Amino acid sequence: MELAVQTPARLHAVPAPPTPVTDDGEPTDAALLVRVGERDREAFEQLYRRYIRSVMGLALRRLRDRGRAEDAVQEIFAAVWRSAGSYKPERGPAAPWLYAVARNAIIDRMRTRNEPAAEVPDTPSGEPGPLERAETSYVSWRVHRALEELPEKEREVVELAYWSGMSQSEVAEYLAIPLGTVKTRTRSALSRLAGLLEGEELR
Amino acid sequence: MTPRFDDLVEQDLPAEERGRLERVHDLLVAAGPPPELSPEFEFGPTLAMTLPKRRQGRGRQRLALLAAALVVLALVFTLGYITGNGSGGGIVGVRTLRLAGTAQAPGALASLVLSNEDDAGNWPMKLTVTGLAKLPPRGYYEVFLARDGRPIASCGVFVVKSKSAAVTVDLNAPYSFRRSDGWVITRQAPGQHEPGPVVMHPLA
Repeated sequence: MELAVQTPARLHAVPAPPTPVTDDGEPTDAALLVRVGERDREAFEQLYRRYIRSVMGLALRRLRDRGRAEDAVQEIFAAVWRSAGSYKPERGPAAPWLYAVARNAIIDRMRTRNEPAAEVPDTPSGEPGPLERAETSYVSWRVHRALEELPEKEREVVELAYWSGMSQSEVAEYLAIPLGTVKTRTRSALSRLAGLLEGEELR
Repeated sequence: MTPRFDDLVEQDLPAEERGRLERVHDLLVAAGPPPELSPEFEFGPTLAMTLPKRRQGRGRQRLALLAAALVVLALVFTLGYITGNGSGGGIVGVRTLRLAGTAQAPGALASLVLSNEDDAGNWPMKLTVTGLAKLPPRGYYEVFLARDGRPIASCGVFVVKSKSAAVTVDLNAPYSFRRSDGWVITRQAPGQHEPGPVVMHPLA
């Protein structure tokens, strides 16, 4: 089975029929977004918790300044609240719609406040071009969103293994669990993430 | 330091499963770590996220002024109706929040009409409340911006004449709402400067 984190354009091109709940009975992102459009604050809070890290990550990558990024995050979720009513689940899943809202809010902010984009390259270089940067941003967006779905114990192992600089043995020692448990949790987490990222929509 | 896939999982994986997990590994490496959140973002969405956007531009300002004038007219009309009759329907406003009495003031009800932020950063509000008991001399009620149900910043004070009469007062919140998630009303004893017991909180 091919695993890919698709770009927003590709996702728009292959819309999936929306489902109101996931296998574990939780509302899908699309269902939550529809409820947000109906001014359901509880749904907004749920959606916020699912996406806050993706949104903050995108803002930080684009603006490279925590203060500006935090302001942008405020504006992004305000934009989601205002425009959720225009979301049509039959046209595609929620993740790329939210990504587009976030990206546009950041661009609008930079334009109206004359703020420089942190990702604009000044000179030709070996750095990724706009398309690659957009794809990388969207990969981060979806991966960080998917991480929110992991059980706490699995997410903890993944975060330590990938971003703490610790070896598996050090992770085992740090968490006071056997090395075999660390590997089992890592494998389980990767498998769960694969399932989430293979799907057209996370939830 | 990027971890090696072979160090992370057992070696005895079937080839297809190995390939599937390795692609996820590559995505995790490409994505980088999720960002740390400051406590205010960790806590949840803030009130400011669900407030109407302040209009910008001259044309929009005119429209906003016209809309505000209509809102004020409607408010004056509706509030006049309420105060004139002792009871009434909903209040017209940019956004209306409902508050209910806690165990300290069962049966109390309030509407807080929040208008658009002005250019200086003020959020004018109009509070209409019924069912609060008259307090001893020099006692008063205080409206607070709240975070997690706890008062954090005062928006004004008021007194009531009797439990049955509706009271309408103009208030103001000269704050950013980034650190708040609603309003509460406290009962203040004479000379008390710290927030007193919460007598009204937002309706769920």
